[in-house]
Amino acid sequence: MKRWLFLAVASFLQAAEPLPLVELPKGQTFLVFQPHHDDHTTDYGMGGLIARLVDEGWKGWFLRASNDEKDGAASYGVNDQVNLRESQAAGKVLGMEGVYSMSWRNDYMDSIPLLELREQLIVLIRKHRPDVVLGHDPWAHYDRNPDHRKVARALAEATWMSGLANVHPEHVALGLRPHRVPVLFLKARWDYGRGHEANVAVSLTAEQVRRKAIAYQTHRNVYASPAMGASICKQLEAEGLTATELDGLSDGDAAVRIEEWYMDWISRKVGAANGAKYAEIYYRVAEFDHLPGLKSYLEKSQLKK
Amino acid sequence: MKIFLLFATVCLWNQSVLVVTADASDYVLCAGGTLAKLASGGAQITLVRVTNDDKDSVNLLPEETANRVRQESEAAAKELGIAKVIHLGYRAGELGGVSPTELRDRIMFYVRLTKPDVMFIPNPYAEYVEVLDRHYTGMAAEEARRTATMPNHQPAHAIAGLSPHIVKELYYYSAPVDPRRREPEGPAQFVPQPVVRDIAGTFTRKLRAAQALTTINQAMAAAIHRRLEDTGRRLPLFDRGLTESAVAKLVEENVRGLAALCAKDTQFRQAEEFHHAGPDYQVPLRYSGAAKR
Ligand SMILES: [Zn+2]
Repeated sequence: MKRWLFLAVASFLQAAEPLPLVELPKGQTFLVFQPHHDDHTTDYGMGGLIARLVDEGWKGWFLRASNDEKDGAASYGVNDQVNLRESQAAGKVLGMEGVYSMSWRNDYMDSIPLLELREQLIVLIRKHRPDVVLGHDPWAHYDRNPDHRKVARALAEATWMSGLANVHPEHVALGLRPHRVPVLFLKARWDYGRGHEANVAVSLTAEQVRRKAIAYQTHRNVYASPAMGASICKQLEAEGLTATELDGLSDGDAAVRIEEWYMDWISRKVGAANGAKYAEIYYRVAEFDHLPGLKSYLEKSQLKK
Repeated sequence: MKIFLLFATVCLWNQSVLVVTADASDYVLCAGGTLAKLASGGAQITLVRVTNDDKDSVNLLPEETANRVRQESEAAAKELGIAKVIHLGYRAGELGGVSPTELRDRIMFYVRLTKPDVMFIPNPYAEYVEVLDRHYTGMAAEEARRTATMPNHQPAHAIAGLSPHIVKELYYYSAPVDPRRREPEGPAQFVPQPVVRDIAGTFTRKLRAAQALTTINQAMAAAIHRRLEDTGRRLPLFDRGLTESAVAKLVEENVRGLAALCAKDTQFRQAEEFHHAGPDYQVPLRYSGAAKR
């Protein structure tokens, strides 16, 4: 865990105005569209919200668009398989129903036709008919990860174009009907400058943060390595510091503990900045946001049946 | 003063305007009032409509949808006083698979042909605009304005008598969904600035133009109706079905809502928002001579 990251995150959170803590929208199904095995468990969002959705009775599926072959120290094939297995395990910890993998070549997604990737998302949207989709913010700036950008862009269009019958009309043969996704929760690193400005905060319970932390460190191919545990313990020693909770733990167990502390710390920090014990923050695209001229009219005029 | 007004009117009368839009409705809803005002002043306006809008309809095949929207977009343009509509005919929602350079050069052709003083293009930097065709069209049009000035871009144009052209003024338009759209991003010489334009005088014409797009409007109404139905809600406006008058009323609410949103925190009642790059854009004042004034 790098010290600069702590400092950047901490200073960002201190500077920001509190965001409105929002209720979850009405619904029962959500999809998470992201390129990588671990994107649903990152410190800057998703895992806590996923756990909360599940706790409130929702069913959710995770899409891993890439094959993660470059993420980890092993060979391509091994990374792909191990990362997928860990992603499935992390999804289970959060309470998700399953993981789909489109297995596109990691960090070489530029050559994928955007419309082909978009169609894969449209198929999943029409199959599961989600009330909410989670993913990276397609309008965020400075995300140098090409897979994040590509999948986010496909998500931006798939979530509304899936509602048009003339978009891939062949899907009717599979019994799939058009469905527009009404609400999006979008994330991006908040320490990447002005690009992504969250507009809502979602409060979390300690139990949801606990599952988020476990889901995160479940990705042992890339996180919580014994070497990381050893290096941090050594650093503490060099600075004359001790952490009694780490006493007697193996390097691997120490690394796991440290990762979980970090996730707890960041979730607490985001919570404190937004009036909750624990929280995550998002750019939420709400129902009818795409019709700015009609939004307030629809809110005022609609009635319960 | 009288002489100045006469001069201004004559200038406007000769003004050539090129509007580029990704689809039939975007430019009407975002810039229709301003364009109607320019047309009333005598400006010659050409519209380049990039896609054929073939996806957005109720129970119509793509081909039928495209045919109808083409006719309706001609009618809408007429309401605004637009002299000519060029339909490039790309399939809607598929610009992400079209070469940006190809699209740029198609637009550049019309920049050189119509030699506009002013261009109106979708703002490709506007965030949270879900229709990415608007982003791709904006990028291509912005580039076309630049390459149109350079004879080495498509040199065949010159052989056929089409000379390079400089467009002095540029308006970027976009639906008001970007929460930071009113924030200037940098100094005026280098970055287009947010501006708000009064449209109270041409609001009715903008509304009639929007209402002329009946195929798209029915699809919008049907989508709202379905969403409310699916979630146990209803709109009293639709209690007698999605009738022509109910859809027209919905469009009126939309156009009024947009005009009010764009007029918020200004002296105007009804307005449109743009990012504007004036003649000094990308020309530092000390070079343009404007500083001496
Ligand atoms: Zn990732």
